[in-house]
Amino acid sequence: MIVKLENVYKIYISGSEKVYALNGVSMEVEKGESIAIMGPSGSGKSTLLNMIGCLDRPTEGKVLVKGVDTSELNDGELTKLRRDTIGFIFQHYNLITTLSALENVELPMIFKGVSRHEREKRAMELLKIVGLEQQMNRRPTELSGGQQQRVAIARALANNPEILLCDEPTGNLDTKSGEVVMDILTRLNREQGVTIILVTHDPAVAEYAQRMVRIRDGTIID
Amino acid sequence: MYFELAKRNLMRTKMRSVLAIIGIVIGVMAISSIGIFGEGLKLSVLENFQDVANEIIVTPSFSAGYMSIDRATVSKIEKLPYLSLVTPLKNKQALVETESKRMYLLVYGIDQNAVDELFEIEEGSAKLRGSCVVGNNLAERLKLRAGSKIVVDGKEMRVSGILKEEGARFDINPNKAIFISENDFKEIFGESGYSMIIVKVAKLEDIERFKDSVDKLINLRGEKIKVFEMRTIIERITEAFAQINLFLIAIAGISLLVAGVSILNIMLMSTLERTKEIGVMRAVGASRQTILRIFLYEALILGIIGSITGGFLSIFGGYLIEMAILQSAKYLFTTATIVSILEGIFFGLITAVLSGLYPAFKASKLEPIEALRYE
Repeated sequence: MIVKLENVYKIYISGSEKVYALNGVSMEVEKGESIAIMGPSGSGKSTLLNMIGCLDRPTEGKVLVKGVDTSELNDGELTKLRRDTIGFIFQHYNLITTLSALENVELPMIFKGVSRHEREKRAMELLKIVGLEQQMNRRPTELSGGQQQRVAIARALANNPEILLCDEPTGNLDTKSGEVVMDILTRLNREQGVTIILVTHDPAVAEYAQRMVRIRDGTIID
Repeated sequence: MYFELAKRNLMRTKMRSVLAIIGIVIGVMAISSIGIFGEGLKLSVLENFQDVANEIIVTPSFSAGYMSIDRATVSKIEKLPYLSLVTPLKNKQALVETESKRMYLLVYGIDQNAVDELFEIEEGSAKLRGSCVVGNNLAERLKLRAGSKIVVDGKEMRVSGILKEEGARFDINPNKAIFISENDFKEIFGESGYSMIIVKVAKLEDIERFKDSVDKLINLRGEKIKVFEMRTIIERITEAFAQINLFLIAIAGISLLVAGVSILNIMLMSTLERTKEIGVMRAVGASRQTILRIFLYEALILGIIGSITGGFLSIFGGYLIEMAILQSAKYLFTTATIVSILEGIFFGLITAVLSGLYPAFKASKLEPIEALRYE
């Protein structure tokens, strides 16, 4: 079991009201699984993803990643966990515009302290996997949406993460680019055993996953 | 690579970065130029006093009841082997009359050798016997020339020479005085003690030695004479200039403060604009220290470029000020100039880094999830 959530709550106080973004969520993810979390807007799916990715802390309950209770980790330890174990793919790609495609992919390795030679080599390999080695010196503004998302995938894979978290990875892409991206993710899961947890509202995208988890109003309903 | 990131971030908003740098340049220039000028001013003033660093003025101790210095004391001092000059002087206010004017003036009785040693003649000769030598300002005022006749306390004397005008002196003001021989002085005013002795030591280290000798040989049983080192004046002048200079630099420092506020503003704006980017970096593994470093590097780069440019340009600034006020830039290329430039650069760098500290700290404290949500 690579990820486990035990009765997780995320409560926001809005004036005198309490908003339950997550309302007692429990779930388990096995190593090597690919899961699609589906739900309408405001269902708490992104909140759930952020919880798993250690970007956010639960108000109550536990989030365990690789058996480690993340509530007991300080900021530095959480950062390290994100850096080494988890890869993020965002809906809006979130590439650094002042860096080239290659440098964007290198970024997590820079934060890890990998040597220049090593990280350049690996970054080029990763760009090759996503089919963008010819565009490695281009800046994000010179790439299409699909290409940017592929760079983002390469970046997410930089430090060999065991888990890939994808928040609406095809949300901003046309159908064809979306398919290319999902193919890459599927290959990563099947051929390299990377655990994939993706959030989507698109059933066609959810089809790519082995398992579906439905969430509504902060509660898992499936 | 963090430096590279910082550099590229600054290039993203070129105009803003350039304006911040200009602020630092102006601040550093202000501090360094004023420092350079202040040093030049001090050296220019001290130039007049350099030759008197080894001079000591001996006067009678009025507070101990001594009105003059006796011959015996003068002889004791003259016998000290390490002195390069001993000039005892007598003086008295006396009525001096010319063809058109009459006034009371200070008349000095002095040894012939001493006149040659201490002063410079502009017109005529420095011959004292039976004649007198007149100070420059006085000669102008009384319309005297070499060869003119004046009456000193009833004795007719010929002016043998006019002295060159001198700048400020602390031992004696020759510009407004009349100098006659010791014999003539005795003839006119009668026997009297000496009013002061100008002493010069061969080496500055001997000043303390002289003070010791005076304590042991002359002032043993009571303070007969007072000893005043000219170098004390030089030290006081140097201290005064240092304080004035410091004050001026502090005023100049205000401009650097303004530059610092400008950097603070720019970097706070930058932090806000890049909130999402910071969130992304944190999400992919950047620690708080990494974010802090990147932002501090940005402030440092602005500081380095601004300070070095400002330091370099301050040479011109210092040159312009010195030419405008001192009409000379001969003090420009000294060690002190380099020190002033380095000081300016140092303060420029410190200002930039300190100004960048708060924004960098703020950026590093952003929670990844909040930063990522920022639009």
